[in-house]
Amino acid sequence: MGRLFLFYRLMLRPLLLEPVRALLTILAVTLGVAVVLAIELAGTAAAGSFRASMETLAGDNDLEIMASGGVPEAVVGTLTALPYSIRISPRIEDSAVIAVTQQTLPLLGLDLVAESSSWNRSESPSLGSAESFLPAEDAMHFLESPDSIWVGASLGKKPGDQVRLLINDQLREFTVRGVYPDSNGNESAIVMDLAAAQRALHRFGRVDRILLKVPEVPSIEEWRERLRAALPAGVEIRAQGSGTDENRRMLAAFRWNLRLLSYIALIVGAFLIYNTISVSVVRRRPETGIVRALGASRGAVLTAFIGEAAFFGLAGAAFGLPVGRVMASGAVKLMAATVESLYVSSRPGSIELNAWSVTLALVIGPGVAIVSAYSLAREASLVSPVEAMARGRREYMTRIHKSRDLWFALALGIAAVVAARVPPMGGKPVFGYFAAILLVVASALAIPAFADAILSRSSRWLGKILGVEALLASQSLSASLRRTSVLVGALSTAIAMMASVGIMVGSFRETVLLWMNDRLPADLYLRPAGAPAPDRHPTVSLELADKISKLPGVAGVDRLRAYEISYDGLPATLASVDLSALRSDHRSNFFSGRPTEQVLSQIRGADAVLVSEPFTYKHHVRAGGTITLRLGATRASFRIVDVYYDYGSERGTILMDRQTMLRYLPDPAPSNLAIYVTPHATSETVQEEITEASAGYRVLVASNRDLRTEAIRIFDRTFAITYALEAVAVIVAVMGVAGALLALVIDRRRELGLLRFLGASAGQVRKQILVEAGLLGLLANFAGLALGFALSLVLIYVINKQSFGWSIRFHWPVAVLLGAISVVYLATVLAGLYPAQVAVRLNPLEAVHEE
Amino acid sequence: MAIVSLQTVSKDYLTDGQPVHALDSVSLDVNRGEFVALVGRSGCGKSTLLNLAGAMDFPTAGRVMIDGVDTSTLNDAGLTALRREKVGFIFQSFQLLHTLTVFENVELPLLLAGKPNARAAARERLASVELDGLGDRYPHQLSGGQMQRVGIARALIQSPALLLADEPTGNLDTVTGAIILELLKRLTREQNTATLLATHSAEAAALADAVVRLRDGKIEEILRR
Ligand SMILES: Nc1ncnc2c1ncn2[C@@H]1O[C@H](COP(=O)(O)OP(=O)(O)O)[C@@H](O)[C@H]1O
Ligand SMILES: [Mg+2]
Repeated sequence: MGRLFLFYRLMLRPLLLEPVRALLTILAVTLGVAVVLAIELAGTAAAGSFRASMETLAGDNDLEIMASGGVPEAVVGTLTALPYSIRISPRIEDSAVIAVTQQTLPLLGLDLVAESSSWNRSESPSLGSAESFLPAEDAMHFLESPDSIWVGASLGKKPGDQVRLLINDQLREFTVRGVYPDSNGNESAIVMDLAAAQRALHRFGRVDRILLKVPEVPSIEEWRERLRAALPAGVEIRAQGSGTDENRRMLAAFRWNLRLLSYIALIVGAFLIYNTISVSVVRRRPETGIVRALGASRGAVLTAFIGEAAFFGLAGAAFGLPVGRVMASGAVKLMAATVESLYVSSRPGSIELNAWSVTLALVIGPGVAIVSAYSLAREASLVSPVEAMARGRREYMTRIHKSRDLWFALALGIAAVVAARVPPMGGKPVFGYFAAILLVVASALAIPAFADAILSRSSRWLGKILGVEALLASQSLSASLRRTSVLVGALSTAIAMMASVGIMVGSFRETVLLWMNDRLPADLYLRPAGAPAPDRHPTVSLELADKISKLPGVAGVDRLRAYEISYDGLPATLASVDLSALRSDHRSNFFSGRPTEQVLSQIRGADAVLVSEPFTYKHHVRAGGTITLRLGATRASFRIVDVYYDYGSERGTILMDRQTMLRYLPDPAPSNLAIYVTPHATSETVQEEITEASAGYRVLVASNRDLRTEAIRIFDRTFAITYALEAVAVIVAVMGVAGALLALVIDRRRELGLLRFLGASAGQVRKQILVEAGLLGLLANFAGLALGFALSLVLIYVINKQSFGWSIRFHWPVAVLLGAISVVYLATVLAGLYPAQVAVRLNPLEAVHEE
Repeated sequence: MAIVSLQTVSKDYLTDGQPVHALDSVSLDVNRGEFVALVGRSGCGKSTLLNLAGAMDFPTAGRVMIDGVDTSTLNDAGLTALRREKVGFIFQSFQLLHTLTVFENVELPLLLAGKPNARAAARERLASVELDGLGDRYPHQLSGGQMQRVGIARALIQSPALLLADEPTGNLDTVTGAIILELLKRLTREQNTATLLATHSAEAAALADAVVRLRDGKIEEILRR
């Protein structure tokens, strides 16, 4: 109790005298903790609590049967014929767009006759409360009517309502026959009878999934083996809901990288705590000496300073919790948009501040504070009482080992280069992150030597150009080199993160732009209307494709078809191209560097495929190898002819000839059309012709340029969150500059007061502080750009490559970098305004007061 | 005309709501070439008087005229200009900037005023305080007496009409202090400045043209020689 009181009196009460500085430190920790928490919460909501929308109304089942391109309906018969008591629920799973609201919802085809009879036997109803969903007895005949649908209550429809739905490229009228409750977390879906759904989708003779409920004995694993034996080779039997796990696995790298980015602000915050505690240690040296002479132990001094740091950490964490919760709602929108456009259609769950996230905040706040303050607290506790009590200039001469630290920096830099060459561990670029951390530490260690070299060389020269205030500013910075170094370290780390991510994203963007030139060779593209999603592949009517190919201005139509499949435990896209139509230039898009024509000729009609670059990283395959796919009822092996660059999606893609695909999956409807215009026609006139020809079909025709613009828009949106994270890190660093300059002003008030005695005007004092801020910003920008360049190499060639498998060409996004750096620089100088004002308001008489 | 003229000047400070009369109706004129010692116990108001005379502070009542200008009529810029032109300060603990060389310390007031040829002026002043050749040293490489010489050279760099020294020998041993006082007195003559020196050493008082004795913020007596 007495100790706590002493701690308050000696450590906390002095903070009240400088509330602005104490608050800035707390705010820095608050933001650091808040960002980490926000990304954690938003990540969990956007991806972690992710449940595949197709699991809607899936009910309680044990196993599921899947096949790429659909399970032959005959499998249902096979299963029914087995002498087991298994509940078999075949499903069609697709999507439909409500015409009025443009809302995309899962479209489920269920065997309603069978299901309703099973409900009548009141056996584990899978559709929530059976009464509300069950068609009334007299409405049984609606079941098989092709325009009957059942919808979730959250849609606000009632039985008898008419609803217009866009299914594939067809708009049709349906009638609501019943409403089921979907409030308990289920996404609303549109339910039809299986046969009606097959008809609406033109998908005859197959279903998308068969759910199975098996008896309790023997084990599910046993059942799985037993049933597998009875099934054709192409179909897969696995635990129900595996798709959700697969999607979650796919999102892991995305989440992981964002999570790491979110720690940047906290790292920057650590520098600031270090600075705050270092100021406190220096200022309290005499007190420390006195207390030690009066009998306090080393441990007590150590505990006191660590306690001060922990106080900042705890206070920051306490504020960080609510701030993080608020930030999470913004972050979840950005993250959900990215997940939706790059990975899988899903809707974010709700944000929940649970015990784990509260613990996380309460651990990382004080944790990072204590870690960053430990060496200082130890140093303070080791000073002898006599030495500490000795007043005078010496107390400001904190020890600093420039050249020793420079050697350490060099060693760490070499270690970083080595770490960057180590392959990924468990699919994660663990050593890449390690290399990045080593580089940050190396740069922090090199900064004192760097700052000293620059400041001592430039001070006279600065004095000549900017006047005596600049000379004084630069001298004062080099006189407190340790403090200067910590500040430059914090700010440059933030700038480096910003620059490195900026360079990485800029390089990526440039790579994507170049790639799109080759990848999108056609003049016009056509797809079914409705929001696009990476895991939904609605189809275009075959007749429309034929009609368009006969238009006068059309030279050729490439019918592209895509299926969402599962490969080796991860979602993937299986696509086919129409090699007979494809016009391509002679640029290579392939790892082998061979011309496009040559590569494509090798897959024409053959059991051979091309795979995208991300696919090779996810599944450890390469050109020359083979992959086995389950297509419909058959299993077949395909030779990998080559690997192509693909920056369009992080999901792996397998590409084959349309003729090959049709042999296994005979559905001829294309998902997209790539249309080539004859040399005599313009793409505008052809676009008009196509629009006219597609009356009665709901399709969208986009020009090559539209598609590119859209792709870049999505790209930019994807990285919006990284920019937001960097901005917070920079804000934290700039706040640190303000706080530290404030401390600097307080500590140097004697000199500042003296200047007034010697004839300095208020403006000159202000200018000196602002020049100090400007110099700090300049040093930090130089150091930050150098570190940022090194980090960007690690990001591009190690971390990104190992987590996503993209080859990115290095590119300097000069304009973006210059813009960002100027903003940071301006902010740094502005951060000097308040401390400068404090300096001006100092009373010189008190400052120079002497006894 | 007196270079500095205090006319029934009072200065009150509020300490815990209680007014402290640091100076109480003090009137004093100091002319060019005069070397005046302010003596009295600690807390009698010496520093307060010097600060008012140097336009670093304003009186609660009365007027302070520096070279004929009433300080209360000036704004901050005007006061700064006045200080630059007319006043040099010398401090008990020298108040040198440790990060600057001797030359840089001495030329600082000129640089702050934006005047040219600072280095030549600094060299000349350092010669007059007998520190030739030490200009490139840093303060911590000097003895206490040398540091105060630098302080004096700095105070004189602008050839001020008024030199204010607040216990300039307080941090020096007796012998060195006596040498510094001799120096100050000589420079007062040579530069024709009005020098006001706060001290509680009898030796200092003995050297002065006039001794002003303060007690509890009031002038007790003025002895002129
Ligand atoms: N800033 C201040 N606030 C309150 N009281 C002050 C202040 N400065 C000086 N005093 C008081 O005014 C009186 C005169 O002080 P000072 O001029 O410093 O004396 P001296 O220099 O002769 O020792 C003292 O009683 C002192 O406590
Ligand atoms: Mg005094």
